[in-house]
Amino acid sequence: MHFSIFRYNPEHDDKPYMQDFRIDLESSDLMLLDVILRIKNVQDDSLTIRRSCREGICGSDAININGRNGLACVTNVRKLREPVELRPLPSFPVVRDLVVDMSRFWKQYHSIRPYLVNDEPPPEKERLQSPAERERLDGSYECIMCGCCTSQCPSSWWNPDTFVGPAGLLQAYRFISDSRDRATGERLQDLNRDPYRLFRCRTIMNCTEVCPMGLSPSRAIERIRLRMLDVEGHGGGLARHRVPTVR
Amino acid sequence: MAVITLTGLRAWLVQRATAVYMLAFIVLFLARFVIAPPRSYDEWHGLMSGAGMIAATVLFFAALLTHAWVGLRDVVLDYVHVVALRAVLLPLLALGLVALGTWIVRIFWTIGG
Repeated sequence: MHFSIFRYNPEHDDKPYMQDFRIDLESSDLMLLDVILRIKNVQDDSLTIRRSCREGICGSDAININGRNGLACVTNVRKLREPVELRPLPSFPVVRDLVVDMSRFWKQYHSIRPYLVNDEPPPEKERLQSPAERERLDGSYECIMCGCCTSQCPSSWWNPDTFVGPAGLLQAYRFISDSRDRATGERLQDLNRDPYRLFRCRTIMNCTEVCPMGLSPSRAIERIRLRMLDVEGHGGGLARHRVPTVR
Repeated sequence: MAVITLTGLRAWLVQRATAVYMLAFIVLFLARFVIAPPRSYDEWHGLMSGAGMIAATVLFFAALLTHAWVGLRDVVLDYVHVVALRAVLLPLLALGLVALGTWIVRIFWTIGG
């Protein structure tokens, strides 16, 4: 199978380049990550990729596969169009090869205060939720923070320092819709404090399209806008969609 | 100064409200011309000089210019990051839209008068 992989080592290379690799698939090569790791182990051990759980939960092996962001560990390698072009997540600064610097992404995530804000005296055991209140978190708590959405969002490309981005906004919605949180008003106000944090979103829905968990950040952004208008919506969680196969 | 504070949620709402009004106006306007097209210039002039029609049309253009301001300003905010260039482009844009607005009001003033 033919792969064309983005290479860049800032210590040696003046600029990035694409390197070709050819490898015969073995029966144990199911997912793209299996093959990348075999290329690294057998052909070029300097090839750098970030990965951990290898089962689509940690989100660390998010890369751009044939022009589309996805997780290498849950992408069926046999369905990919050849040559398989692998690049780091678009618009994120490259650390080396397929590894990107996610500091800006985390900075935006932290800016939405991704934790419950509740100054009321804590109950003896825990803050309980009814099943209906818990259901409202569906479709937002499952985010694995892989960065696929934010990296594929043009609004984030143009204003990465000021626009929170789809991943951060999905998390903002997760806390806005949490019955145990007491800072809903402040959270909404914070997202409406300038024309950038939320309102750079033009609803082109690339985020929803590429989310490997089938989540819908664009729907969450719509719900935040409705909450700003005091419209509660249906009250339920966000629907998840089938993840399209990367080819 | 109202235009300056047209940001965030308010700008987003105005963008949608003006779009809905323009869509309704265009549909009704076209429907009127398809169902009962004016047969002569005088008939057309009569139709356009009614007080209600002038008000609805002026409102249409006000919606159009406001919609254009929010949309074009968004384009500038997205793509133009040099503050000095923004400081030139945004006033130019506003000036252009105000000039168009003045021209439109003048046309209707002439019709009305």
